[in-house]
Amino acid sequence: MASVSDMYDVTWEEMRDKLRKWREENYRNSEQIVEVGEELIQEHASKLGDDIWIIYEQVMIAALDCSRDDLATTCLHELKKQFQGSHRVKRLAGMRLEALERYDEAFKMYNDILQDDSTNTAARKRKIAILKAQGKSTEAIRELNEYLEQFVGDQEAWHELAELYINEHDYAKAAFSLEELMMTNPHNHLYCEQYAEVKYTQGGIENLELSRKYFAQALKLNNRNMRALFGLYMSASHIGASPKASAKVKKDNVKYAAWAASQINRAYQLAGHGTKETKCSLKAVEEMLESMQIMPS
Amino acid sequence: MTVIKLTTQAYCKMLLHAAKYPHCAVNGLLVAENQKRKDGQPVLCVDCVPLFHGTLALAPMMEIALTLIDTWCKENKYVIAGYYQANERIKETRPNQFAEKVAARIAENFSEAALIMVDNSNISMGCYDPAISVFEHHDNKWKCRDASIDCCEDWSEAQKIMSALLEDRSYDSLIDFDNHLDDLRNDWTNPEINKSILYLC
Repeated sequence: MASVSDMYDVTWEEMRDKLRKWREENYRNSEQIVEVGEELIQEHASKLGDDIWIIYEQVMIAALDCSRDDLATTCLHELKKQFQGSHRVKRLAGMRLEALERYDEAFKMYNDILQDDSTNTAARKRKIAILKAQGKSTEAIRELNEYLEQFVGDQEAWHELAELYINEHDYAKAAFSLEELMMTNPHNHLYCEQYAEVKYTQGGIENLELSRKYFAQALKLNNRNMRALFGLYMSASHIGASPKASAKVKKDNVKYAAWAASQINRAYQLAGHGTKETKCSLKAVEEMLESMQIMPS
Repeated sequence: MTVIKLTTQAYCKMLLHAAKYPHCAVNGLLVAENQKRKDGQPVLCVDCVPLFHGTLALAPMMEIALTLIDTWCKENKYVIAGYYQANERIKETRPNQFAEKVAARIAENFSEAALIMVDNSNISMGCYDPAISVFEHHDNKWKCRDASIDCCEDWSEAQKIMSALLEDRSYDSLIDFDNHLDDLRNDWTNPEINKSILYLC
């Protein structure tokens, strides 16, 4: 079995740096992390210095994702030896139990941490994750709401809540959670865009108008966000065709939709570079936009 | 009741999509050739277009995808014949409200549309059993079809090729509509994977 360093012609420093990038940007490419991380640990542990502990943690979680209990146990063992009695390591032990579907034992482990330290957010979030894994969405949502009452600034938690609500088709509450995120992160185009999608899904002319505004806002924040561009096109088209809209609103929206359509076409042309496959895509997009052309009444 | 069958290409791409994002829910469309069928002839889904991964239950991108793929279908004499979904949780194999809505929308255009749920627990390297459940529309409800009816045109071929694709980690290069929206150059028709499947046949 060829080693990663042989196959991709990389040095151990590059492997370590890649792991750091994946860690900092929160990637969940677990198979790759296991491949690179396992080799780094086995062949180059002595060169890593203090980095090795955070790498053990990262590789352990990725190993759980890939059902590599052998590797996870090895990493956990090294961390337990080095950081005896640590809550952070105990949480990892709990995650391993979760991966083995031994939820009751994991639950108990997290409760032990919380008894020692009632402000330990990691343990509380793992308990909510267990509820989610068991399909107990209503309880997970309830616990997450309680958690957020105490830890109002936890972005990750607000986003998780929004997604739980979307999965339960409770779009109004999802919108509320995303509003919290947008308030604290006004420059994040992804939150804007997802909020617009939720509003669109809720439906009705007012929500469509809001959705169009937020798609436009997302586009302003990042003019390469294709979802925002498509969303702007769709919402403006629907409003332009809606019997409930006034003549002026309809006229304005038909203009917005036409602008969005031209931008979409332009984006596809830029991406095209004349390959046969993307030519098909471009043609399909052109035809789709033509067929959806809303004529002003 | 018309029976739905999948070609190897449709089945494999669908499962590759699920394999690429094991921690997410995924969904997509199935397309069939648009032709008159004789009575009793099964609907053959010849290809699959993977759509999204992660948060599925939002309308706008789904509408775009349906419209765009419908246009593409017309150019290629296909018709959208089904919708598949793999839920986030391994043990959750029933369709949710969103899945039923999308499938119902497809059925408006193609009365024998199928709703296919991927059975996550049956996905394995060896591919011993077909990892899907087919739901058909009866009396306004989606009912699960008898599992003993063969869902693939040629199960042993599909099984062999699926296993080879998983070993090769072909799912790493599978493109879904989400990937396309991230970068328009990504081709959701997956011509390279189609070639690999043809080559393995």
